Amino acid sequence: MDPKITELSQLFERFKAAFVRKDFDTCAKFLSQLKVALTEFKSLPPLFEETPNAIQERTLARDIYEHAVFLSVKIEDQEALERDFFQLKPYYTDTHGLQPSTQEQPILGLNLLRLLVQNRIAEFHTELELLPSSALENPCIKHAIELEQSFMEGAYNRVLSARQTVPHETYVYFMDLLAKTVRDEIAGCSEKAYDSLSINDARQMLLFSSDQDLVKYIEEEHPEWEIRNDFVFFQRAKESTPCKEIPSLQLINQTLSYARELERIV
Amino acid sequence: MAAAATMVSSAGGLLAMLNETHPALKLHALSNLNAFVDYFWPEISTSVPIIESLYEDEEFDQRQLAALLVSKVFYYLGELNDSLSYALGAGPLFDVSEDSDYVHTLLAKAIDEYANFKTKAAEGNDESAVVDPRLEAIVERMLDKCILDAKYQQAIGMAIECRRLDKLEEAIIKSDNVHSTINYCIDICHSFVNRREYRREVLRLLVKVYQQLPSPDYLSICQRLMFLDEPDSVASILEKLLRSDNKDDALLAFQIAFDLVENEHQAFLLTVRDKLSSPKLQPSEPAQSGSSELDSVQDGNATSSEDVQMTDRTQVDMSAPHTDPNEAIYAERLTKLRGILSGQTSIQLALQFLYSHNKSDLLTLKTIKQSVEMRNSVCHSATIYANAIMHAGTTVDTFLRENLDWLSRATNWAKFSATAGLGVIHRGHLQQGRSLMAPYLPQGGAGGGGSPYSEGGALYALGLIHANHGEGIKQFLRDSLRSTNVEVIQHGACLGLGLAALGTADNEIFDDIKNVLYTDSAVAGEGAGISMGLLMVGTASEKAGEMLAYAHETQHEKIIRGLALGIALTVYGREEEADTLIEQMTRDQDPILRYGGMYALALAYRGTANNKAIRQLLHFAVSDVSDDVRRTAVLALGFVLYSDPEQTPRIVSLLSESYNPHVRYGAALAVGISCAGTGLSEAISLLEPLTSDVVDFVRQGALIAMAMVMVQISEASDSRVGAFRRQLEKIILDKHEDTMSKMGAILASGILDAGGRNVTIKLLSKTKHDKITAVVGLAVFSQFWYWYPLIYFISLAFSPTAFIGLNYDLKVPKFEFLSHAKPSLFEYPKPTTVPTTTSAVKLPTAVLSTSARAKARASKKDAEKANAEKPSGAESSSTVTNSGKGKLSDKDGDSLQVDNPADKKAEPEPSFEILTNPARVVPAQEKFIKLLEESRYVPVKSAPSGFVLLRDLRPNEPEVLSLTDTPSSAAANAGGSVTGQQGSASAMAVDEEPQPPQPFEYTSVPDKKECRVNPSIARQGWQECASD
Repeated sequence: MDPKITELSQLFERFKAAFVRKDFDTCAKFLSQLKVALTEFKSLPPLFEETPNAIQERTLARDIYEHAVFLSVKIEDQEALERDFFQLKPYYTDTHGLQPSTQEQPILGLNLLRLLVQNRIAEFHTELELLPSSALENPCIKHAIELEQSFMEGAYNRVLSARQTVPHETYVYFMDLLAKTVRDEIAGCSEKAYDSLSINDARQMLLFSSDQDLVKYIEEEHPEWEIRNDFVFFQRAKESTPCKEIPSLQLINQTLSYARELERIV
Repeated sequence: MAAAATMVSSAGGLLAMLNETHPALKLHALSNLNAFVDYFWPEISTSVPIIESLYEDEEFDQRQLAALLVSKVFYYLGELNDSLSYALGAGPLFDVSEDSDYVHTLLAKAIDEYANFKTKAAEGNDESAVVDPRLEAIVERMLDKCILDAKYQQAIGMAIECRRLDKLEEAIIKSDNVHSTINYCIDICHSFVNRREYRREVLRLLVKVYQQLPSPDYLSICQRLMFLDEPDSVASILEKLLRSDNKDDALLAFQIAFDLVENEHQAFLLTVRDKLSSPKLQPSEPAQSGSSELDSVQDGNATSSEDVQMTDRTQVDMSAPHTDPNEAIYAERLTKLRGILSGQTSIQLALQFLYSHNKSDLLTLKTIKQSVEMRNSVCHSATIYANAIMHAGTTVDTFLRENLDWLSRATNWAKFSATAGLGVIHRGHLQQGRSLMAPYLPQGGAGGGGSPYSEGGALYALGLIHANHGEGIKQFLRDSLRSTNVEVIQHGACLGLGLAALGTADNEIFDDIKNVLYTDSAVAGEGAGISMGLLMVGTASEKAGEMLAYAHETQHEKIIRGLALGIALTVYGREEEADTLIEQMTRDQDPILRYGGMYALALAYRGTANNKAIRQLLHFAVSDVSDDVRRTAVLALGFVLYSDPEQTPRIVSLLSESYNPHVRYGAALAVGISCAGTGLSEAISLLEPLTSDVVDFVRQGALIAMAMVMVQISEASDSRVGAFRRQLEKIILDKHEDTMSKMGAILASGILDAGGRNVTIKLLSKTKHDKITAVVGLAVFSQFWYWYPLIYFISLAFSPTAFIGLNYDLKVPKFEFLSHAKPSLFEYPKPTTVPTTTSAVKLPTAVLSTSARAKARASKKDAEKANAEKPSGAESSSTVTNSGKGKLSDKDGDSLQVDNPADKKAEPEPSFEILTNPARVVPAQEKFIKLLEESRYVPVKSAPSGFVLLRDLRPNEPEVLSLTDTPSSAAANAGGSVTGQQGSASAMAVDEEPQPPQPFEYTSVPDKKECRVNPSIARQGWQECASD
């Protein structure tokens, strides 16, 4: 066996050990080394050179990235998750003889969930379109789709209650985040819909259990809101721009120039 | 990189990797992205900010790679400016030698940018603006690469564009064929460098390079120096050549002089002549020896049979004991050179050529004369104009002498034109001009009794004879101008003086003319305005301001028009320098001054095809309110584009379909001017429909323009020439045709057969230099719309189409060469023989016969070729052997010439023709001219036409000279043509000199209608004229 691969697998084993130990700092350190080591291999995307050990190398690399994805969920780093997912993705889309991975569906679902949490609905649908129809039946992915539908309908309570039915342990992290996304969404809508709300209504609306939480939330997220007399005033910057003037001068000039051009026709 | 099949389907992974913290991963991602950017640029483009931030990150050590990647993405996005700025950031990673669209595009962009920058910096004199050193580095890298790869032309083009004269020099010097590279450089310099100042800089550099060469090409150097207007350097080169021991160097000097003369830059040539240092002879010697030498040379010209004797005499002169022989040789050569530089030699030779080869067809004129209605004075004078043009420079005035009665019907201004016509016929007859015109000239202040019209005409004629070579006649014209206060005479004298002193910028003459102008007489003022312009042509002097001020002051339209044209003439060839004046004129309230502004644009940007000028002219052509201005604007396009005649028909084709007849007229003349003498097929196609336009003056313009385009084109090369001739005939004979187009047709037949069928209209010399006289001549000619006598100015644009070989003594030796084309292609049109009445009936048959003949010729082609091959070999070898034997070859040549027409009927036409020096070589024929091998003479420079100095390989054998039938005997009055009219008159008789016509007996019936101008347009002018 190629010494480089051996070395890599050994490093990977140590990473996995650390991962099991939940020693995430060590994991991150190992992961960085692993990734740098991976750049040495020509058989990996984007080059896909057909070396003798190509399949083996690719499987190993895919494994590493799958672990990286899970690691980033564990350390709750969304950016790292996104990065790792995109690096992993070529192994799923351009298989080149790789056996499908068992982790593929959960990770795809995880990514969908991430997009949902970050409220990147357009990208969510793009990803969805890229999946084969068979994959949509997979519980992990189906879960994400259902969440999105509820989210769009405005059935926020269904979204929140879905936390109980996660198909994969890693999903829990996102379900927590989802509550916040939902709240932001509601806050955004209220802002547009009302001039003001009573504290009570606002608390219910924003799914807070106590007024303190609400006040804290407002202070952190929407400092432009004002709390007066038990009412929350959404001070929309209503500098509604006056309806645009008709560019009369420009139109006159244009018409005149047309007239002149007509005269000039030889 | 492997095939696309094994490629990754998205760059997402790599893009994600860019966000990794480890630099090795970033690098890996960057380098892979760089490799795949051609496929994934749409994906990468969304991540450009990330890559940009990598580039801006001072810590990151692969910033240049990031820059390159961003640059490529921007290139795909079409943001070339951003792309370029990042490519500059990429430093050495941006590989100029890479063969990809990206690199090519960016290089082009970089060079553009750099050139723009340099141009702006140069024009704004903004030294502070510093060009991005990285940009400069890229351009330099590119230039160096081109030079290394031996792509010198690219390097030169870029260097010129970028104003990198240092690199230009390097490219030229390193190129393997320096001479051809320089010639290429000159070509592009003239056609692509728009700014005059910069062009001069480039040329100055070229001269420098030339002078460093081991074997300098003096011919080219002098041409360039002339453009740069540095007479001192030219003079010193010429002197060096003259003082050389080698006879060939002297020949070269003569050749240079002839080439310079061809460009017609009078003021320059005179300065060169005066700068040449006189031979260091003893005090008493120079004048005497110089003049006696001159005499002997002239003598030799007149009686060349005494050739041997003459050389003896000069040898006697040279061996005079108390002079240094070298100085004597120098003196002798210098005299010759001065003769050439003053233009006298070439004019005289051209005159001899035109006289001896005159093939004008008197029958055509007779037909015109008979068909023109007696009382129609416009057609009557048109016939006189046509005659003058047909015989321009030939000195043949048979027609006038045979028709004195008919001629005497010319009265008033027609008389003026008739007399002036003599000047056109005798154009270039420098020695005899004065005596020829003597009977008509004002007689020393006493009033003489002659009509002022013929006197004015005679002064104008003198100007035409001496156009651009007026050294000898200027004083006389000035005196005449000062001693009269008859406005007709003043008019003639002003025009004459302007022509004779063309471009000399003589202040005294200017003041004389100005005095005439300030008399505020309409007729004289118009002449004065034009004359001032002629005098100051191309000087851009501040006199223009003075003229403009007076144009605003005066009430007379004629004066304003004269001045407007005059002002336009002063800015001739000044390009950007003239912009202020042009702006001033084109914004004037007065349409006549705007009209002058159009001419100013035309002349300032003559032959440059400058885009700005074209744009401006097109703008005025469609937007000005005055028809005159619009017409002139279109016409002016012809002047701007004459260096590029193929363009003109395309540019004016839309305008030629304008609803406005003035614009159509302008379009016709624009094509006529810029395509003159080319016979360009597109030009003819454009003009053809215009010759049958619904408006009479458009027909007139189109006929004249067509004649200008078709001059010297034979029917064999374009069948439409024949059709056009028949059309002209039909118009002239048609009783119901209106006067305007009839006049156009008469003039057109004159132009078509101009100068005894031996001249063409040429605005560019062979070295692509503009011929100032010709351009000015055509510009003033186009004024005939307002003032018919100005038609004669077209004669300035005529240049003889001849190959004239000269030996060391500036004589024309017998010398034969080959025209490797069918004789019928370039032969003279057949003289009209058929009685005119039947010609109309014969029309269809004539068309058929030509086409049938053409068909027959085509079918026989193969057989003919086979036949022609053999005799060609035999013939040429026989003539070669003969050529050495002097007299024998003479006979042979004659018989050949005579035989040719006969041969044509009997047997298949030969595919070549032997021409004898001097010979008519029409422009289209030039590429077929070949010199016979083993000929006795070898030309100093290989040129298919014009004056060519010949090196004699067998100097010991006696020479046989041709061109002995000199129309002038210059012996008697060599020093100054002013003296001895009596003596020359007797000499003329001996030399079969055509007698000047008897003084015409004018019936002096004052007829005011004659003083007219274009009937349908002239209103004011007519009135002014009638009021005198």
